[in-house]
Formats: sequence, C-alpha cells, structure tokens
Amino acid sequence: MFAHILRRILSVAFTFIVVSIIIFSMMHAVPGGPFDANDMPVSEAVRAKMMAQWGLDQPLHVQYLNYMWGVLHLDFGVPFQSPGETVVELISRAWVPSLILGGSGVLIGAPLGILLGMAAALNRNTWIDYFASTLATFGLTIPVFVTSMLLILIFAVWLNWLPASGWPQPNRWILPIACYAAIPLATYARYTRSAVLDTLNRPFVTVLRAKGLSERRIIFQHVMRNSAIPLVTVFLPMFIGTATGSIFVEAMFRVPGLGAYFVSSIEVRDYTLQMALMLLITFMYCLAYLLSDIAYALLNPRIRVGGAE
Amino acid sequence: MPLVEIEGLRVSFRQYGGRVDAVRNVSFSVNEGESVGIVGESGSGKSVSCSALLRLLPATAEIEAAKLRLDGVDVLKANKEDLARLRGRSAAMIFQDPMTAFDPVFTIGHQIAETIQAHRKIGKREALAEAEQLLLRVEIKNAADVLGYYPHQLSGGMLQRAMIAMALSCRPKILIADEPTTALDVTIQAQILQLIKKVQAEFGMALIMITHDLGVIAETVDRVVVMYGGEIMEEGPVTEIFEAPKHDYTKALLASLHSRFEPSKGDPDALAPALELRGLAKSYSTRRRRGFRVTHGEFQAVQAVDVVLPRNRIVALVGESGSGKTTTGLMAMRLTEPSKGQIIVDGTDISRLDTAALIPFRKRMQIVFQDSYSALDPMMTLTQIIAEPLHIHGIGTPREQSEKALKWLERVGLARSFGSRYPHELSGGQRQRVAIARALILEPTVLVADEPTSALDVTVKAQIINLLKDLQAELGLSILFISHDLSTVKSLTDSVVVMYRGRVIEEAPTERLFADPRHPYTRALLDAIPATNPREKRERTFLSADDIRARTPRYTVIQTGSAPSPDPQLVTVAPGHRVEAIVTT
Repeated sequence: MFAHILRRILSVAFTFIVVSIIIFSMMHAVPGGPFDANDMPVSEAVRAKMMAQWGLDQPLHVQYLNYMWGVLHLDFGVPFQSPGETVVELISRAWVPSLILGGSGVLIGAPLGILLGMAAALNRNTWIDYFASTLATFGLTIPVFVTSMLLILIFAVWLNWLPASGWPQPNRWILPIACYAAIPLATYARYTRSAVLDTLNRPFVTVLRAKGLSERRIIFQHVMRNSAIPLVTVFLPMFIGTATGSIFVEAMFRVPGLGAYFVSSIEVRDYTLQMALMLLITFMYCLAYLLSDIAYALLNPRIRVGGAE
Repeated sequence: MPLVEIEGLRVSFRQYGGRVDAVRNVSFSVNEGESVGIVGESGSGKSVSCSALLRLLPATAEIEAAKLRLDGVDVLKANKEDLARLRGRSAAMIFQDPMTAFDPVFTIGHQIAETIQAHRKIGKREALAEAEQLLLRVEIKNAADVLGYYPHQLSGGMLQRAMIAMALSCRPKILIADEPTTALDVTIQAQILQLIKKVQAEFGMALIMITHDLGVIAETVDRVVVMYGGEIMEEGPVTEIFEAPKHDYTKALLASLHSRFEPSKGDPDALAPALELRGLAKSYSTRRRRGFRVTHGEFQAVQAVDVVLPRNRIVALVGESGSGKTTTGLMAMRLTEPSKGQIIVDGTDISRLDTAALIPFRKRMQIVFQDSYSALDPMMTLTQIIAEPLHIHGIGTPREQSEKALKWLERVGLARSFGSRYPHELSGGQRQRVAIARALILEPTVLVADEPTSALDVTVKAQIINLLKDLQAELGLSILFISHDLSTVKSLTDSVVVMYRGRVIEEAPTERLFADPRHPYTRALLDAIPATNPREKRERTFLSADDIRARTPRYTVIQTGSAPSPDPQLVTVAPGHRVEAIVTT
C-alpha cells in the first residue's frame, strides 16, 4: 500500500514536470517579449545588458531550470500588472474569495447532490426521481452566467432579500455560493444515482436481503460504500475546478477573486502571473488526482489487498 | 404443520404495456427436515417462486397467493420485523454465483459476523469466533485466515463454502439453494453438493434445491417438483419421477440425460489429420510487485500440448476452468498467439504465417463461443450476421450472400422469416444456432466449439448437440469440442483429451476413457459426474492436487517402450490411449 502511494506520487510529480515544460515552451513560442523594440525603445547595448541581467540571453532550457528553481522556493517573480507585490502575494490575496465561494459551493453542492442522487435511485421512477433528474439536467445545461442572472433577478431585484453583488460581507456570499453549488449538485446527483442503481442491481444486495439485514444497514453500509468507489474519482478534481474561481461568477457578482486575473494576465501578457496560475492549477489537479487515487485504493480492497492468494 | 406452504401462488411483473405472469397457480409444501428439488429450465419460474417465499422480488413484482406461509408466518402479511426474522433465521438462501454473492469491499469474516449480529444480540468478537467455527464446519481448513480475506482472494468453490457457512450462521430451519453449483467445475460441484447434504443432516434442516440439472436432483433430494413455463408439471418422490415420469416435459428432460452415443461417420484418414497441434504452448510473463521489488516470472498457461484432430471426427478437450483448454482452442485458431509449437492445417504449419497469408486458412477454420449473446453483433440482422463471413472473403454477390445466409438459417432449424430479426429477439438456443450457421457458411473443415452448450438449458442443449452431430456428418467436419461437461462429451465426441493444469494428462477414445480411465485426475473427473438415477447416489472421496500428483500412474519400460524418467511423460498404454505416467525400469 505504501509502495503504491509512493509510485503514484512519483507518477504525479512526473506529470507535473511534463506539463510545466509544455507551458513554459508555449509561453516562449508566442512572439514578443518584455524588451521588444516597440515596447521598449532603447539602444542595442542597453537591451543586451538588461537581457543579461534578467537571464534572458541564456538558452531556453537554462531559463526553464532557473524558473523552476525559483518555483521550488515559491518565487514566481513579480506580476507585471501589479509590480508592488510578488506573484505569491497577489495569488494569496485574490485566491481567498475564490476559495471561500467556490469551496463552499462544492462542499454544499456535493453532499446535497449525493443525497438527491441516492433519493432518486432508491425511489426510482417516482416523482422524487423525476424531480432529481430534472434538477440535474437544468444544473448541467444552463450556463452559470444565466443561473447567476436569474438568482440576482429573483432574490435581489424582485424579492429584495439579498444584495445583488459585492464583497466582503457574508450576506453577499450567498448568491455566488448558490451559483457555484449548482454544478457539483447536478453532477453528483447524476453520478450517485447511476452508481447506486448499479450497486442495487448487483447480486450481493439480494444476498444481504436474504440474510435478514435491515434495509437501512444494506443501504448505508453496503450500497454506500460500494457506490462511493466510482464517486471519489470525480470529487476532488471537481473541487479544484470550482475552487480556483470562475470568471463568469466572479464577474457577475463583482467578487475580487482569482478568476479575473486569468483573463487579464493573458490580455496584458503578464507572463509571470500567467505561468504561476497555470502551474498552480496543474499542481492542484495533480494533487487532487493523487488524493482520489489514494482514497480509491483505500475504499477498494482489490487494490489495497492485491490479488488472489 | 409443514414448514413451507404455498398454495395458488401467482407472481406477475409489471412491464411496459401490462403485466406478465412469471408463475401461475403454484402449490407445494415442504416439511421439516425434508429435501425437495425444483427442476426446470430458465424462465420456468422456479427461482421466482422461492424468492417470493422470502419476498426478495423486485418492486415491480406482484404476488398473489391463497396461502404463502413460511415457518407458520403469513409471508404476504409479514411486516419488517417478521421479514428480518424469516430471512436468515427461518430460511437461508445460497445463490448461483458465489463470486458476485459477497459484497466485494468487506471481509468474509465481517459478512458472516454481521449476519449473526443481525439476528442475535452478540458482540463482534464472539460473532467472529462463531464465524470461524462455521467455516471449519464447511471444511475450510485455514478458517482463521479466511475470516480476514476479501471475496476476490478466494476461489469460487471456497466462496461457495463460505456462503454455506453464512447461511448456516443462524441455524435456519430450511436452506434454499438456488443453482448452487451451476457456476462451478464438475469436481467442485460434487464437493459442494456433498457438503450441502452433510450440513443438512447435521443441522436437521429442510432443503429446497433449485436446479436445471437432473443429476443434481438425483444426488440431493427426496421429492421433486417439475416446473415449466411458470407452472408445476408434476410432483412426486424422486425415484418415481426418474422411473415413471408422467409428463412429456419430464420425459424429455430425462431423455436428455440418457442420450446415446454414435460414432461419427466418414473416413478418419489417419495419414492426413484435419488439424494437428504439435508442442503448442502458451506462457505469459508475470510481474509481481512486493514493495518496490518487481519480480518477473513466467506463467505456463499451456505446456507443449500435442493434439490430433482426424478428419470427420469430433475430439473433446476436457478440463476444469484454468486447465488451459480454451487457450489451446484459441491458439489452434491463431486467435491467441502461441509461444511455441506448430499448428498444422492440411499439411501446412500456420503458426508463423502473417495476417495476409493466414486469410485462406481462416476460411477453413471457424469457431463457436459459449456466450452466444456477446458473440453476435446486436446491431446486425441475422441475415447480415450469417452472411458476413462471405462478405469478408468476397464470395458471391450481395444477393447471393443473403440467399445463402437464408438457406443456412433453415439448415440450422430456423425459419427464413427470422432473417430480418436481431439477436436480442431470439432465445439462447436460437442464438447459438445462428452462431453455428455463421461459422459453417464458409464450409470450413475444422470447427472449434468452445463450450457451445454450457449456457443452455438441458433440452435445448440436446437439440444443439444433435444439430452439431448432423452437420458434422453432412459436411464432413472435424470438430474440436471444448467442454467441462462430461455427459455432453460422452454423447457427442469420438475421443477425449483431458487437460489438467496446462498439460494433457490422458487421451483415449471416448468409450475407452469412460470405461477404463488411468490417470487419477481423469478418475476424479468421471467420479464427480452426478448420478443419472437417484438409486446410484453415493458418498464420494475427493482428491487434493497433492493426492493426484502422488497417484500418478507408473509403468515400466517393457510395458510402454518409453525411456525411463523421474518426470511424468505421456505414454501409450493401448491403441489411441495415452496417459501421463512415470516410467521406471
């Protein structure tokens, strides 16, 4: 088991390095640089001196290694958009709102989705099932910017219960969290429904009933545990996807989060921030997949205990 | 008062467009300590009747009955608590496929202990101690270890024993066994049946044995209920049913048990066999991880097998699951690449031919698989399926191809009107007929039939066997018939090759093999065949793998003419009869 985890860590580390190389090369494949003639009209000698000072005259692979050495020490450089702080400072400032909103969205949406999916599977072909399916379909098909506008229209404009947007008062968090929660809720409801139905159709469930176990024990111990195996693989990656902020939701609710920087750093060619954001997301996804792999192995004895004697 | 009383039971399932009756007007009873068999083919309602007794049917089922009582309780009126008491304590059930009957994420010990704890107030530790005792009683020697095993770590036979232990855990008054041995090998089947009889006597339980196999009935029960199409055809003491069956369906069932053997017609042409396998072997490289150390090994699935399939003859390849018989069949077709050895078809070694050079030989060799459902493309009509080989080999115009396909439909006993149907519209037997037509439309010389009848009901199985036999004679086919079912082998094939752990251990003409088996494994295999008459049932002793090795026959150089060797080798003991033996001086 320990060796299994270590192997997974190594393979995830390898993935991270490959992705970082790809990102780094793509950045440099795009024409243009900080000391280009039209951006910075200086003499050839001054430019060469500046290039040398910043290490830009060195071969690409050396630049990559220098960069990664910095990354290893959490030194991502200075964002061009906001030279008064480092990239790390900017991200740790802007990520907080995104993490609070997106994280709560998943943490609220996923359990609700699981409950809804279970209720649907256990009451198959009843109004509960149809309601859950309808909700899940809406959640998956309606884009978040439409959902957020609807929420604002209903709760802020018509009912006037909640503020339409803004930061940082907690009552302004409710609508964006509801928006974020919609997708994990819908996805989880669908996944859980099919996973539970799948498990319920397996012969061992009949055996458990024939043994005289209570229906509650069958559902909450046996069916849940078996259905959880396919579910853990989607949980963490989805968490990352939402917790790094959505451009649309943050724009709709005027949240000073990370989402806006994804767009602006591309627009203004903010290399350092762009690289940092992409590496951050890659790292988070790698971590998420690693953790789900471990959770999967823990839940599934076929992997944990290995083959037949 | 009888333990089980069923009167006028009717079970129907709600479906789109109405209700379908699965069981109609079924009445029977079981007394304490009695053994009753319910026999019938799939869909006859035998399992549904017993599941209704424990209310284990899905919500779409509707149950009506004048009387449905188990252990004095009206099952239809039973509330949750009554049901929990009935299930497990009054009646326990064991199921067909032990591999899927356990929850894969909990240990065997946990699953037995939770059954005990569901019915009695008892601590986990004591429940586990009891579970260990139960495992010992079902003859699992390393019971303490097995408690901590997960289902995937045990073989099918061991799991079925554990399942029986679990069923016994609450001392039920009746044990309902729903096809408990259908998924198991013959030798394991015999062991499990004997175990069921033993624990039944020890625990003083009644037994309902649900099966499609009359041999199982003959071995285990006192009274038989014969079901067909959701109704009871007849009922009576087991000897009466076997010796004086009243109903036509029962007669047909019994007839399938006693099918006669006729040797295949046509000249075997000893000099030029249709197919010859010489030293054909398959090994897989294995990787085992222990921590970070990876050890590479080799797993010999098949070790240098020699098989000769003469023209116009049917040769059986027999053995338990994992013996390498299917791998050998697939290698003969070059559907699995052999690691070593030669495959000689009409004098040409095809074992090294490349894909293009192989095509003309593909036409001469065809295969039929066990699972006809997954062997036929569900999106194609029967005509398209049967004509496809002609299309692949570019024989005839499309019109001629479909005409020929329709002719073949008739030849395998289906109406031409079936041509536009799809596989899911057919029964298992009909699908297998289509698979046979598809294999034979190219008029091959060799047919490999990999367990073509083991998924079929007894009466249907007999029809397919007859069809194969007829087509063999008409077309002058040579068939390699892979099977674990010795009764089918006995009625169909001319000679038998017995495989055990990847080796051929005995080979002889069919009648001779059944009359005079020499190898201990062959004997064990033959001994495990269920009795065909309840008067013949008997206690059996079972050999372990070590016993079999220790009892390897010994011959002298003079008897066999082979060189002496401490390792077992195949020696000829009579014309056409070879056996693996140790030759001494």
